[in-house]
Amino acid sequence: MSTLITGADGYLGRRIAAALRGQDLILAVRCADETELDHKRARLAHVADAPVVPVDLRDADPFARVDPRQVTRIIHAAAVIRFDVTRDTADQVNVAGTARVREFAHRCDRLDQLMLLSTLYSAGRRRGEVHETRHDDAGFVNHYEWSKWAAEECLLDPPGLPVTVARLPTLIADDTTGAVAQYNAFHHTMRLYHAGLLTLLPGDPATPLSLATAEFTVDAVTALLAAPPGVYQICPGPVTLGAAIDTAFAVFEHDPGFRRRMLPRPIPCDQASFHDMAQAAQRLRGGPLQPALASVTPFAEQLYLPKHFRTDRLRAAWPGYRAQDATALVAAACTDLIERSFRVTAN
Amino acid sequence: MDGLYIGSFAHALGAQQRHIRESAEAGLLRSAPEDLEAAGFRRHHVCEPGDTAYDLAHAAVAQIAARGDLTDIDAIVYATCLPGGETGTGPVRDVKELMDFPAGRLQAEFGLSRAIVVGLHQQACTGALGALRVAGALLATEPDWRRVLCVTADRFPAGAWYEQAYNLISDGAAACVVGRDPDVCRLLTVHQITNGGLGRAGDDETVGTYFAYTHRLVRQAAARVGLTPADLDWVVTQNTHEKAWEILARLLGLDHARVWAPTLADVGHVISADALVNLSALLGSGRARPGQRIAVPMAGFGLNWQCAVLEVAA
Repeated sequence: MSTLITGADGYLGRRIAAALRGQDLILAVRCADETELDHKRARLAHVADAPVVPVDLRDADPFARVDPRQVTRIIHAAAVIRFDVTRDTADQVNVAGTARVREFAHRCDRLDQLMLLSTLYSAGRRRGEVHETRHDDAGFVNHYEWSKWAAEECLLDPPGLPVTVARLPTLIADDTTGAVAQYNAFHHTMRLYHAGLLTLLPGDPATPLSLATAEFTVDAVTALLAAPPGVYQICPGPVTLGAAIDTAFAVFEHDPGFRRRMLPRPIPCDQASFHDMAQAAQRLRGGPLQPALASVTPFAEQLYLPKHFRTDRLRAAWPGYRAQDATALVAAACTDLIERSFRVTAN
Repeated sequence: MDGLYIGSFAHALGAQQRHIRESAEAGLLRSAPEDLEAAGFRRHHVCEPGDTAYDLAHAAVAQIAARGDLTDIDAIVYATCLPGGETGTGPVRDVKELMDFPAGRLQAEFGLSRAIVVGLHQQACTGALGALRVAGALLATEPDWRRVLCVTADRFPAGAWYEQAYNLISDGAAACVVGRDPDVCRLLTVHQITNGGLGRAGDDETVGTYFAYTHRLVRQAAARVGLTPADLDWVVTQNTHEKAWEILARLLGLDHARVWAPTLADVGHVISADALVNLSALLGSGRARPGQRIAVPMAGFGLNWQCAVLEVAA
């Protein structure tokens, strides 16, 4: 009985492998050559004592080096997770790659579970309550969202496989200490505000954000390995956009350097205004604004589309579920960002 | 600012009008010309090599004099962001060489013998409005005074980029008179915000903070005279990226059709003179009617933000 983890060297894949240490694991990683494979093997040796195999989901037969007879569980964590990913890349890696995982899964005669790590934002442009069910196409604000929805569909549409879809929140810290090891749109946005490079706030301040730690998310994923197949939304308790910004600025204002600069809190703006500002900023020569905005802008529309993610199935399947204090998490993550002067080193 | 009026507007621009592409080829710009064109800029004005900021100020004030409006001047308030005088190349032994007195030169040149002079040079691109505020304060504390000449003039030195904070710059000057006698507009208030913590802000921080501060500035300026931004009939802006005020109009709840900057393409950003150039254009257009309220917001390095609120009188 072996668990195959794709994207096992990724931010979450590595932590899931660590959580399953002691079980029979096969760690699938993407690498350009044997040298990179050796490097990744060395890194993962600290995580789990398990074979590391090269798997590139863009290949025609990516699992050629994995024996399907051994595999009883697949955790499909490999994906491109950038909001500014192109449609083509998202399609190749997240959609076609998932289709190849599905093909492989069909060859695994003893398969008990195929878990796809998806995103809460596979809900796309819908507003209001979002249930732990299959989504229809409500439109998407970026290709990443679309590709994760399409990946879900790829696994849920044809019946026959024991599929679990785990829709993940936005990870802003490793754990409740607030330690940040990976940047995403949240951290880029905070950096812009802290640097005074952005004073507009895209979104409705009342929009709930689903922010979580990697620790909470990995606990949820491992709990769902024992749960029946189906769709689960991993949401630890929301914080509103406005409260998150107020919390971040309250932390920033403890920083003497920030306080001396007397930077104003951002003002909420409508979607068209933020779009205009981002478009204009693209033509500002080579400053720090463009790369940071590139990760924020493709997601900004979501901040105008309030969603309330239901977690009934998750809580029923995971007796250890405990809501997290998202406001405290924002404060801890922002404190960590300031202590590191917004420099992040992957561990 | 009860009972104060503003009028006698005049301006002068650098004698050479250049297309943005010419200036790009001459190495005067930092951004690609197509990026500045996308912001709405097309041409700008550059001084002839021998011309100075004082020459521009003189030319603007001469227009007021030619109209017969340069009478009873009790003070001259002169704003510039580049106050350095002409200096030689060697070490300075007598620091008088570092001093410059353009307002005093205007006083002497135009025979304004009873006028005292005041200089402002730390308000950057908002200095013209600082001059109006100081003029109002002087008139408030000197009951016998009638009129204050306000001047702003800047000329970039040879070799300097004609671009600041992504705006295309022109050399130029503007002048007007603040006084007690009825004139084209009543001067209702001038409001200022300064954030010295951003005194050395780069172009990106300047742009980044522009929206929140300008939003605050206009709201606070309007509130000083019992208005909301939506009550303003016109907002006469500096010549800056044309998208900036599309965004701000939405944020302030203003109809963008009431935002007025018709000289953006062909005049560019004239430090603190371009908003007065645009104000002259509005008043000359006949579109501003008596009783209408006009906000004139400006943003500048330092960082400074100032906004005047006027009411059309005649």
